[in-house]
Amino acid sequence: MSPGVLLLVAAGCLVAGIVSGLRWPRTWLTLTVIGTAAALGASLWVLLGSTDWEWLSDITVGGERLHLRLDALSALFLALLCVVGASGALYARGYWSDRQFPVSAPRGRAWWSSLVLCMGLVLTLSNGLHFLIAWELFTVSAYFLITLENKRPAVRAAGWLYLAASHVGTLVLFALFATLASHNGNWDLGPAMREQAGLAPLFWLALFGFGVKAGVFPLHVWLPSAHANAPSHVSAMLSGVALKMGVYGIMRFNGWLPVPPAAGWVVIGLGSLGALLGIAFAFAQNDFKRLLAYCSVENVGVILIGLGGALLAVTQGDAPWGRLALAGALLHVWNHGAFKSLLFFSAGSVLHATGTREMSRLGGLWRAMPWTAGLFALGALAVSGLPPLNGFVSEWLVYLGLLGAITSKAPAAWAAIPAVILLALAGALALASFAKAGAMIFLGAPRTQTAMRAHECGRWMLGPMIALAVVCAVIGLVPALVWPVVTRAAGSWHPAWALAESPAPLVTLGLVHVALALAVVGVAAGLWWKAQTNGVQRGLTWDCGYATPTARMQYTGGSFAGIGVGWFSWILQPERSLRRLRGVLPASAFRQERMPETVLERVIAPMGEGVLRVSSAVRRLQHGRLQAYVLYVVAGIAALGCLVLFGGKP
Amino acid sequence: MNTVLELIFRLAWWLILAPLLPGIINKVKAWVAGRRGPPVLQLYYDLARLWRKSVVMSTLASPGFVIGPAVAWVALLGAVILVPLGPAGAALSFRGDVLLMLYLLALARFCTAWAAMETGSAFEGMGAAREVSYAVLAEAAMVAAMLSLCVQTGSVSLATMLAPSAGAGAVLLAAGLFTVLLAENCRVPFDDPNTHLELTMIHEAMILDHSGPPLAVILHGASMKLLLFSVLLTEAVLPMGDLSPFAATGVLLGGVLTATVGVGLVESLLARFAFQRVPLLLTTAVLLCLFALLVAWKGGAA
Repeated sequence: MSPGVLLLVAAGCLVAGIVSGLRWPRTWLTLTVIGTAAALGASLWVLLGSTDWEWLSDITVGGERLHLRLDALSALFLALLCVVGASGALYARGYWSDRQFPVSAPRGRAWWSSLVLCMGLVLTLSNGLHFLIAWELFTVSAYFLITLENKRPAVRAAGWLYLAASHVGTLVLFALFATLASHNGNWDLGPAMREQAGLAPLFWLALFGFGVKAGVFPLHVWLPSAHANAPSHVSAMLSGVALKMGVYGIMRFNGWLPVPPAAGWVVIGLGSLGALLGIAFAFAQNDFKRLLAYCSVENVGVILIGLGGALLAVTQGDAPWGRLALAGALLHVWNHGAFKSLLFFSAGSVLHATGTREMSRLGGLWRAMPWTAGLFALGALAVSGLPPLNGFVSEWLVYLGLLGAITSKAPAAWAAIPAVILLALAGALALASFAKAGAMIFLGAPRTQTAMRAHECGRWMLGPMIALAVVCAVIGLVPALVWPVVTRAAGSWHPAWALAESPAPLVTLGLVHVALALAVVGVAAGLWWKAQTNGVQRGLTWDCGYATPTARMQYTGGSFAGIGVGWFSWILQPERSLRRLRGVLPASAFRQERMPETVLERVIAPMGEGVLRVSSAVRRLQHGRLQAYVLYVVAGIAALGCLVLFGGKP
Repeated sequence: MNTVLELIFRLAWWLILAPLLPGIINKVKAWVAGRRGPPVLQLYYDLARLWRKSVVMSTLASPGFVIGPAVAWVALLGAVILVPLGPAGAALSFRGDVLLMLYLLALARFCTAWAAMETGSAFEGMGAAREVSYAVLAEAAMVAAMLSLCVQTGSVSLATMLAPSAGAGAVLLAAGLFTVLLAENCRVPFDDPNTHLELTMIHEAMILDHSGPPLAVILHGASMKLLLFSVLLTEAVLPMGDLSPFAATGVLLGGVLTATVGVGLVESLLARFAFQRVPLLLTTAVLLCLFALLVAWKGGAA
C-alpha cells in the first residue's frame, strides 16, 4: 500500500474517532490504534524506503490547493506521534476511565483524536495557510485536553497560560507565513525556498514562534504548569510529542529556508543554556510532574545543541561532524519521546494510586507498585543518559559531533567546548534529579497514609508502559538499527548529508551495550543468589540507634536537592519562610519552601503588571461623565484648529 | 586464544590488583603517623570475609538494594575495561569510548545512590545527596580534562588520547585530575573514609546499611575506581606511547604507586575540609582542567 492510502485510512479513522469517542469507547480505541498504525506504516515506508511521498490535489481549501508532503524529516516525527498517540490512548482507558470521569472521559477521547489528527496534518501539510490552520487546531485541541479537569482552578490557570503563550507564538508564525507568502507570491512551502537568500532573517521569526511551542529556555514559561496539571497521558503527549512539533518547525524551516550566519551560534547557545537551567529547575522541584516537565526543557536543549552544531557545520563547509550532531538531535527526538512518555505514564500511575504529586508525601511505593517502580527506574536511567539505554546513544552522538568540531579546531569549537561542558553538567544534574525522584517516590518508608494505601495500576496502564520501555531498551541495545532512519531524515534536512557512512562506532557501541546488559543480569542474579544462600536477615533500618524510626525522619526531596539548589539560587530564587524554635516553651516551628517559575514570576509577571498599571492610568480618562467627554471633543477640535491655523503651509 | 589470554590478563590486573591500593594508602598513613598499621592485603581479607557473611537487610529495602551494587560493579568493570593499559593498549577502542567510560562511571553513581536510598535512613540520604551533587562539579572537571586531551591529540578515543603526554599543560592537568581523583574516590580532604561520624561522610554514609556480599562488591568496585583514576592520571600526564613496552609497564606501575602514595600523604597531612569548601576546591579543579584545555588549544596549534 502506498503511503497515500495509509494516510487516508489514518485520517479517516481519526475523524471517525472524534465522533465515536463521545459514545463508544471500544470503537474509538480500535479506530485510534488502527489509524496510528496506518500512519506509522506510512512513515516507516518513507523512512525505510528511498523516496518521499508528495501529493498535490485539485481540492482547494480556503482558496489554496491541498498539498501534502511526507519526507523523511516529517516521517520521523510522525512515527513518534503514532507510537505515543496509540500508547496514550491505551493508557487512558485505564487512567481516565468512564467510570471515574463520566463527563470528561468522552470529551478527552474526542480531543485526543483531534489532537493526533491535527499534529499529523501539521507534519504533512505543505501549504502555509493550511499549516497555520492545522497548527491552531492542534493548539486548541491540546488546550481542551489540558483542561479536562476544568473544575480545578490550577488546571484552568495552567490552560489559560498555555493558550496565551501559544498564541504569542502563533502570532509570530502568522508574521512568518504572511511574509513568506507575500515574498513568494503563493502559500506553498518546500525546499525550493532554500535558494532565496533574502529570506534568511525569517529564521528568527521561526525560532521564536516555534520556540514557544518547543519550550526553548526563556520561552518555556507555560510548560511546567501545563504539563503538571494536565492528565498524565496528556502530559506524556505534550512532552513527548507536542514539544517536538516546535522542534519540527524549527528544523523544518531552517532546512527549507536559508539561515543567517549567526543562527548556529544562537541555537547552540540557547540549547546549552536551556539544558543546564532546565535541569537545575527540575532538580529543585518537589512536584514530580513539574520535575518531569522541567526535564523536558533540558532535553529540548540537548536537541537544540545538536541542531546548532549541525547549523554551524553547514556554514563551515559541510563538516562531517555536523551530521553526527544532527543525527544525535534527531535520535534524541525519538528517545525523549519514548522515555518521557514512559516517565509520565509511571507518574500517572503513582498519581492514580495516591492522588498526590508531592514527592514529600510519598515514599516506599515499590512494595505496592513493583512494576511501576521498575519501569520508572528504567526510564530514569534512560533520561539521565546512562548506558546501555537509548538516552545515552543520542547524547553520545551529539557529543561525538561536538568533539569532532573541537578536534578539527573549526571556529565552531568556541561554541562546542562550552556546550560539551554544559551538557556534561546537565547530565550529572539529570542523574541527581532522577535519583531524587525515584528515591522519594518509590524507596524508603511511606511518608503518609495515602502512600501506604497505594496499589499497582491495571494492565491497560502497564501495557503501554512496558511497550515504551522495550522501545527504550531496543534503541539502546541495537542503535545501529535506527542509523539508516536517522541518516535519511538528516538527508532531507540537508541533502549533502544524505549518504550514510558506515555507523561503525554505533555497531561497536551496541555490542558493548548488549555485553553490559548481559553482565548486569548475570552479576545481579549471581549476587542475589549468593546473598540468599548466605542467608538474609531482615531488620529495622539502623539510623543511629533509634529503635523505631518514623517515616518523617527520612531525607526529603528538598534536603536532597539542597546543595544543588544553593548553587543555582541566583536563578531559582527559592521563596523560604522559616520559624525556628525559640525560648523555653517554643511555639510550633516550620519551614516552607516554594520554587517559583522564575522567568514567569520575576520577568513576565512584573512586565505584565507594568502594562496593566499604564493602562489603568490611561483608563482614568474614560469615566463616563458626558461633560468631560464634550470637553475632550472641544479640546481636540481646538488643537486641530490650531494645527491648521499655525501649522505652516503644506 | 591470544585474545582470551589477554582478556584474562586484563581482568586480573583490574580485579586482583585493585584492592591493593587502599592497603598501600593505609600503610602510608600508618607510616607517617608512626604506627605499624594494618597489613597491605587487609582489603583482600575483608572482601573474603564479607563474601562469606550473611546479609542484614532493612525491612524497607527492595531487591534494588542488592541489584544496585551489582549494576554499579558491572558498570565500573565496563569502565575499566575501556581504559588502555600502557603498552597493552585497550581491550576495546572506538571513537567516543571516552564518553562511554564517563557515563559508565555515572551509571555506577546512580546505582550506588539508588541502593543507598533504599533503607530510608537519613544518613544514606545525606551521603547520596552529597555524592550526586559534588559529582556535578567533578564531572565538569573530568570532561574538561578529557577535552584537553582530545584537543592535544586530535582524537576522541582513549587509546590514542592517552598515548602521548599532556604536553605543556601536564602539570595543570595532573593537579586537576588528582583533585578529581580525591573527590570521586571520597578521600580526604573531600571525605574521610575512616571517620566514625556519619554526619561528615559521603561515600561511607551511603553504604552504612550494606553488609555481606553486596558490601564486598561495593568495596571492590570502589577500589577498582581508585585504580582507574590513578591509571588515567598516570597515562594522561606521562608519554606512555613513546616508551618501550618494558619501560612503559614500569612507568605505569610507578605512576599508579606514586598516585596512591600521594593520596596517602594527602590524607596524613590534611584534615577533611568543611563541606562549604568542597565546591570551592572542586571548582578549582574545574579551572585547572580548563586552563589545561586552553594550553592544549594554544600549544597544539602546530
